[in-house]
Amino acid sequence: MSAYLDTRVSLLATRLWRDDALDALIGAPADVLADTLARRGLPQLAADDRGRGRGRGRGQDPRSLEQRIVAQILDETRVLIRPLSGSARAFLGFWTARFEMSNVKTLLRSKMIGERPAAVLGRLTPMGAFGRLDNQALAHAEDVGELLRRLEAGPYAGIVRHARRAFDESRDPFGLDAALDRGYYEGLVLHAQPLEKTAGASFRSLIADLVDRVNLVWLLRYRFNYRLPPAEVYYLLVGSRYSLSGSRLQHLATLDSPGAVLAALPPAWQARLAGVRDIPGVFARMEHAAAEHAQQVLHSRAPAIARAFAYLILRERDLRAVRALLRGRHLGLAAGDIRQALRRDAEAP
Amino acid sequence: MLRAEPLYRIRLLVLTSELQDAALTLARFGVFSPAPVRTEALAEAPAAGYREAWLEAESRLAKLEEQCGLGGPPDVPDAAEAPTLADLEELNGWLKEVWGSCLACHENTARIEEARRRLDALAETLAKLERLNVDLAQLLRADSLLAVDLGSLPAAGIRRVTEALGMTGYLVSRFDQVGEQVYAVIAGPRSRQGEARGVLAQAGWHALPVPDELRTHPQAARAWLEGERARLDNESGAACGVLDGLRERFAPRLREARVRLALARPLAEAALAGVNGRGGLAALSGWIPKRQIDSLRARLDARFRGAYWLELREPTPAEVAEVPSLVRYPRWLAPFVPLVRSYGIPRYGEFDPALPFAFAWLLLFGAMFGDVGHGAVILLLAAGLIPRLGRLAWVGIAAGGASMLFGVLYGSVFGFEHLLPAVWLSPLHDPARVLAVAVAFGVGFIALTLLANAWNQGVAGRAAAALFDAGGLAGLLFYLGAVGALASLAGALDVVRPAATMAALGIALVAAYKWHEAKAGLGERILVTLIETLETAISLFSNTLSFMRVAAFSLNHVALALAVFALAGGLGTAGHWLTLALGNVVIIVLEGGIVAIQALRLMYYEGFSRFFSGDGRAFVPLRLAGGRPGFDA
Repeated sequence: MSAYLDTRVSLLATRLWRDDALDALIGAPADVLADTLARRGLPQLAADDRGRGRGRGRGQDPRSLEQRIVAQILDETRVLIRPLSGSARAFLGFWTARFEMSNVKTLLRSKMIGERPAAVLGRLTPMGAFGRLDNQALAHAEDVGELLRRLEAGPYAGIVRHARRAFDESRDPFGLDAALDRGYYEGLVLHAQPLEKTAGASFRSLIADLVDRVNLVWLLRYRFNYRLPPAEVYYLLVGSRYSLSGSRLQHLATLDSPGAVLAALPPAWQARLAGVRDIPGVFARMEHAAAEHAQQVLHSRAPAIARAFAYLILRERDLRAVRALLRGRHLGLAAGDIRQALRRDAEAP
Repeated sequence: MLRAEPLYRIRLLVLTSELQDAALTLARFGVFSPAPVRTEALAEAPAAGYREAWLEAESRLAKLEEQCGLGGPPDVPDAAEAPTLADLEELNGWLKEVWGSCLACHENTARIEEARRRLDALAETLAKLERLNVDLAQLLRADSLLAVDLGSLPAAGIRRVTEALGMTGYLVSRFDQVGEQVYAVIAGPRSRQGEARGVLAQAGWHALPVPDELRTHPQAARAWLEGERARLDNESGAACGVLDGLRERFAPRLREARVRLALARPLAEAALAGVNGRGGLAALSGWIPKRQIDSLRARLDARFRGAYWLELREPTPAEVAEVPSLVRYPRWLAPFVPLVRSYGIPRYGEFDPALPFAFAWLLLFGAMFGDVGHGAVILLLAAGLIPRLGRLAWVGIAAGGASMLFGVLYGSVFGFEHLLPAVWLSPLHDPARVLAVAVAFGVGFIALTLLANAWNQGVAGRAAAALFDAGGLAGLLFYLGAVGALASLAGALDVVRPAATMAALGIALVAAYKWHEAKAGLGERILVTLIETLETAISLFSNTLSFMRVAAFSLNHVALALAVFALAGGLGTAGHWLTLALGNVVIIVLEGGIVAIQALRLMYYEGFSRFFSGDGRAFVPLRLAGGRPGFDA
């Protein structure tokens, strides 16, 4: 099965984009763009681009661009997950659950503003075979309380139970969102643990890149954008055993400025983040570094599950760039603006 | 029975104000399957709001019915009309109100349960503190420099909370755990209480309130706790009373709501498939059987007295793939239909394989498991399971009957080969003949599947594929010619020259068709043509040889029986009969199951896969839940 998955990953890897290939599409004619997208395994996005300009006609995909991109990611995950079993299968399954958590947040927000079920149902991301929630029933919950109770009786009870208690006490939507995010990533780390032993250092490093990035960005955001006290910031981070350990995070949370936080990071990180001026910059630079690392894993002889995970990380990043490109074109933005949005490595040292 | 009924696409135009009654009339009619038609002229969705209101009301009513223990299908009067959107919105509003009260009761009950658990924890805490001889009044003083709190939080988060509170100079000391809740005392500098409270709020901390009385006199504390418990019991009783009252007060109206929602359901369901309109005009589109057109007109005339417009047409070739399949089966064939449907649904116009499937499957099962005794046991068992399995039991009865029939032909009763004379042949004594018959059956079966495929291709408008493809008539020509030539070489027939000519002509036509269809460069085209033509020849013959398993299993049946007899023969009288009985049970259960699956496999993979795409759409008519059946339902 490992040989099968390796072959699958290698075949799918040919669909990834180089930065110059994306750049070439900015001013390309619609048909060329559509053909290129189709060749890269994105026929549904290609069809949309061909159809545009002629109006949404018969047979046009009614899903939003985001929904189609998620559907593409789920389709490819489905292909990769097929030969897997046990903890590897559970991990990739849970990796897709973040889209469902996003649905959960959409549902919660809709209940907070008293939106009608039909309106929110149209905005939820269809999860296909990965869907574990009954969106219809959840959308018809009367209020946040009923929704949380229904969620608590479902597959994400572990994540939601904690969030509900926090919400019951504080009635704070931010706390609810933060608890759900934290619960999800804690779950991801738990799902990754058994694989870290079997799939080796390459897999562990991919997870470490992800969790460390999440923790650093959240820490900066909570501490300096939302002005939360250090202890609360630390509590809201993901329990980590990677480069940014618990004690280092505790120390970072007590510092008084973003500059001080960046200066207190390990030396390798300081080099990576040199010259960064804001939190989105930190995210972009760290994501770029993680993507480079994922490329190395993808093209190495790492275990098949590590290569598959690396591919999914890179594919999702690519699809975000394609989304930016398509949106920019549809909005009629100047090529320079679209190029700016696509500069995935522009600020890298 | 062998093909889906001819359908007409209809579009019923009515006033938007009568749309719900039009959908209800079609649901009562019972054979209208909604399907969308998008047109620029009718670009609005007049039933979208209706569906939305219905879904909300249905969801609330379902929750209330579950709460109140109501259920069962509604009794919908024949003359009842569907509610308008305004009626539906009003009903939805009322249901929202009632469910809101219900929800409040639930919230209350949950709150009371939680408060009880906290009181228990508080009582335990006090007992522990009493033993420690701690002065609670001092410990919990609001003006002391030390801030102390008692409370609970999820066990999973205790470590992280301890670490986070440590950053504010607070200590956490757990003293009890009930389920997933940890009860703890936290203490730290009052000056940083705000920071600590921020962490605790994120952590889902529930503070245990410690009233002043508890801080001073233990006896007063006990009395206070008892008083609190009594108060919670009263509240709990009141909450239950409210819920019971809801049931008594609202049950009749909830039943009435169920009827109204059943009447509204047809339009809500049709809206999902697509109801178009503009201004005051709305259109319901879908499919109905051609032979029901007059009945439909009569119904519409009776209901709308001419105030409607009905458009009818046959499906166009471009939309054939979207047309649902409506096949009517006689009652005796219906039990076999799920076995065909588990493979797929025939497309509109395609050959429906249910009837040949039933005969061929029974024939194969009987041939592989021919035994009067074993067949009789299967028949009786299946008959006994009719109350449990319903009509599916008839498949078992028919299989048992087929097994008995072949048992007579083979002269086999519970494995005994000498009790009955073989009417036709005995597999044990004439295995070569059994093999020849099985292969001959396979040839006939595959020839029929090729014919069926040619028919299906022709119906779908692919005449060239029907005539020249490997699964069409050219493939059949090659197959029959090659079989004739091989049979002649084996000495069974004497038609070697004409048969070889037929085979050569057939394979040449197939190759020419493959060449024509391959859209590639010259080299790739040659390769594709050669490989696909060769694959045609190989697969047809390998599929034919698959039918040798029919002979193999009929021999296997006898061999298994002989093995049981051999085992039993070495034992005493009791052991002999016990072994025979157990051996026969094993044969019936194990071999019977394997043979049933093998027969199904032959049907699916050597038969259906050759001609049956299985990707058709089921005809799903609008129906009225709890109403009287429509014309042909």
